[in-house]
Amino acid sequence: MKVVLENLTKIFPSRDKKSGKEVVAVNDFTFEIPDGQLVGLLGPSGCGKSTTLYMISGLQKPTSGKIYFGDDDVTELSTENRGIGLVFQNYALYPHMTVMQNILFPLQNLTGKDKLTKQEMLDRAYNAARLVQIDELMDRKPSELSGGQQQRVAIARALVKMPRVLLLDEPLSNLDARLRLQTREEIRRIQKETGITTIFVTHDQEEAMSISDVIVVMKLGVVQQIGKPQDVYDDPKNLFVATFLGTPPINVLEGKVEGGKVYIGDEAVMDVAGVEDQNVYIGIRPEGIEPNPNGVLTCKLNNVEVMGRDASVVSSHEASRNPVVRAIISSDIQVDTTADTVKYNIKPHKFFLFNKETEERVYFEVK
Amino acid sequence: MVDSKHQWKAWLYLSPAIILLLVFTVWPIFNTLRMAFLNGYGNMAAMGGATFQFGIENFLKVIEYDKFLDCLKTTAILCVATVPISTTLALLIAVALNSIKPLQKTLQTIFFLPYVTNSIAIGMVFATMFNIVGYNPVEKVADTWGIINNVIQFFGGEGISWINQGSTYTANIAVMIVYIVWNALPFKILILLGGLQSINKQYYDAAKVDGTPKARVLTRITIPLLSPMLAYVIITGFIGGFKEYSSIVGIFGEKMGPPDDAGRLNTMVGFVYDALEKDRQGLASAGALILFVIILVVTLFNNKVIKKHVHY
Amino acid sequence: MSNTKTMNVMQERDVRTRTIGQKIFKVLGKTGTYIFLLVMALIILFPFYWMIISSLKTLAEYRQAVPTFWPRQIMWGNYAEAFTKANLGDLFMNTLYVGLVSTVLSLVITVLSAFAFARLEFKGKETLFGALLATMMIPGELFTITNYITVNNLGWMHTFTALIVPFLVSVFYIYLLRQNFMQIPNELYLAAKVDGTSDIKYLWKVMIPLALPTLISITILKMMGAWNSYIWPKLVANDAAHQMITNGLRNAFTDTTGQANYPVQMAAVAIVSAPLFLVFLCLRKYIMQGVSRSGIKG
Repeated sequence: MKVVLENLTKIFPSRDKKSGKEVVAVNDFTFEIPDGQLVGLLGPSGCGKSTTLYMISGLQKPTSGKIYFGDDDVTELSTENRGIGLVFQNYALYPHMTVMQNILFPLQNLTGKDKLTKQEMLDRAYNAARLVQIDELMDRKPSELSGGQQQRVAIARALVKMPRVLLLDEPLSNLDARLRLQTREEIRRIQKETGITTIFVTHDQEEAMSISDVIVVMKLGVVQQIGKPQDVYDDPKNLFVATFLGTPPINVLEGKVEGGKVYIGDEAVMDVAGVEDQNVYIGIRPEGIEPNPNGVLTCKLNNVEVMGRDASVVSSHEASRNPVVRAIISSDIQVDTTADTVKYNIKPHKFFLFNKETEERVYFEVK
Repeated sequence: MVDSKHQWKAWLYLSPAIILLLVFTVWPIFNTLRMAFLNGYGNMAAMGGATFQFGIENFLKVIEYDKFLDCLKTTAILCVATVPISTTLALLIAVALNSIKPLQKTLQTIFFLPYVTNSIAIGMVFATMFNIVGYNPVEKVADTWGIINNVIQFFGGEGISWINQGSTYTANIAVMIVYIVWNALPFKILILLGGLQSINKQYYDAAKVDGTPKARVLTRITIPLLSPMLAYVIITGFIGGFKEYSSIVGIFGEKMGPPDDAGRLNTMVGFVYDALEKDRQGLASAGALILFVIILVVTLFNNKVIKKHVHY
Repeated sequence: MSNTKTMNVMQERDVRTRTIGQKIFKVLGKTGTYIFLLVMALIILFPFYWMIISSLKTLAEYRQAVPTFWPRQIMWGNYAEAFTKANLGDLFMNTLYVGLVSTVLSLVITVLSAFAFARLEFKGKETLFGALLATMMIPGELFTITNYITVNNLGWMHTFTALIVPFLVSVFYIYLLRQNFMQIPNELYLAAKVDGTSDIKYLWKVMIPLALPTLISITILKMMGAWNSYIWPKLVANDAAHQMITNGLRNAFTDTTGQANYPVQMAAVAIVSAPLFLVFLCLRKYIMQGVSRSGIKG
């Protein structure tokens, strides 16, 4: 089932009655989610990603705009008629019911021609439970389960009615680091097995990048960029997207373009023939700079952190917007740690220019 | 932290409370037990130098005394009838209140009003609502039928004597049930509404996503999640019910019954105070202990039944 | 599970009728809810309404076969008559005196005890506190019998002392206030000690202001208790000079059935009920908070 959002907008009336200022949670969101894909809505808190999810679920009504499931306009349709499954951030498992009862609950609400026999319900519940590998725990109460297990139950409960669309609100935020890795692979697997169009919300870029087919980066209610995770990472449209994606974060330095060359301080670091003169922010991925005695950018060397396979060269530059300029290199490469300065070479495809006023990307030909 | 200066200071601060508790709480526990097991104990007689045999005669007398069983019956009927009615009504009102926005605060205040009344004073108001003035039992006519009978007659029924001369025990009990329920609602609504407001909204969102009908949300989600609060109001309701006394004084006066049958609606607590005032403290103590044991047993039983249905 | 396409795609028309149906159902449900609540509210309010209109009727109007729902002639005189007949002035003063004195003394005792339990260390603290809590499980009737004898033997019969002293200590209030005090960080107390602040000054300047809502709740409940008390005063001080308001009211109008002057009786009830109502309307928040925490009437 493809999901289409058309000029979707949500405006909340102001909480503060005096100022009367409205809050635009989601602004003019248009997007088509292809059938059977796993989509991550990504952004810092308050960016409108959860609101978007709740509008798709029908729990919140959009102020304007339309939502289609396939060719059906579902904008006016109430939640229960949309055929969605929703997994809440805190799972919202009924504490007084066993796992089995929790999973059966949605099926018992079906009436009319959708009504199932007892046996059909049990079969479906067991299928859903097996899919998320909790069929051993059916008689437990939620309080007797670990966070990861509760998450699986919540997913099973959402899947058991065979939804057209599966929605997950911050599915991993309540899990510890180890479980998070495991569970995100699990979500990926379940989504691939069922083929259900799945949309999830997260503030963790790593989480979104690792399992999504498509990510949507949002900020203050406005969509910044949509694309495959690697494409967005390699080709950010603006400074926000570039800084939001990637750990460690991208190095950002102030500089200028003059006569077809990019300058950081006095050093010309890149040829960008054809680009107009302007002040710019320069984004360089940590894996995009490499210490080299003949390098083009000179930084003050702070220290080198070796982390097994990789090493991280930590340096500083007065034009840097981040506290440090960091390079991730193979730990085989030797760096003279006693030196005061370090010179870097820059890989052009890890090097982005953004206009200093608009923070929009400035494109250039890589030679 | 523990030093001698702290020690004496703590005891100094606690001394007024401890002295008063020793005299008016701790001593009574022992003394009441003692009096209950001294046959025929009376304070005046004891002051006069009389001595009493140790024994269980007081308890036997309480149980043999036929009015005691009547008191027990009335108390039990009032309990069993009012607790389910008031709890169900309070639950419905609380759920309804919780589902609305406009007028919620106003209605909440109105529903709390009976709590801030004096149960004797408002009992007198209820009495006038049921009271028939200038009644001729033979021709069945009266000057004033009382507003309740007026309402019954308006709907085509026949007015009956609720609390007056010639009224039946059933009619008397019905009046008491109406009054006690009216009086018990505010506390229960307050507690249940508080419970409802603390239930996580996400459960309702989840139920909505699954298209759960309203009635099913109530029985399968709200009531189970509210069960600790429900248990609390039911248990306190039973305890209060077994101690029922002043609401009856409010409606029937200290005669504790209609004019032609004083004492008909006497309760356990009424029995204890009657014995106390007649200087039969041994009997009163035995009665109070029996009441205590009954409350204890009912509470334990309630706890056991409720534990099966309370989900935490 | 894998075949989600089996999910029936709903027809547009079907969807629209369902949506409209749901909206109608929702509106009906809301209307039903309001009707239910308003009817219940009327039932709750009716006795108050009946009390007020009855109190303003003439006896002749009250005794009419067909009741009137608004007095034809408003008889303020009933109130004056009720006031003198039940001697309400003296009853008010007695009740107010007992209420105020017991509230003040009770607050002092409660604050001191709660402070000791919350902030001071002494041997046997936990045991003592546990023992206090255990006494809360015993019904009051059990204490009343012996207290009646004690008051009698102390020669306190028919005195205000008998009405005040036995109920000065409430374990529950000590418990409530102790919980409140415990939430105040201990560092504040230690800092005060370092500065050489005395316990009493610290209590007065820091803890009492922070625990004020609880103290207000206790005060209100205590005053309500004095106002509504009936059984104990009836036992130990039912004479004219010491009578409490509820007892006085009940004694002045012994007949609830038959031919009494009901308008005057209702006027008396209204006068007695009014102060509690006023207090409630002003301090609604504290009362409801206090009650929901204590679950004790009065």
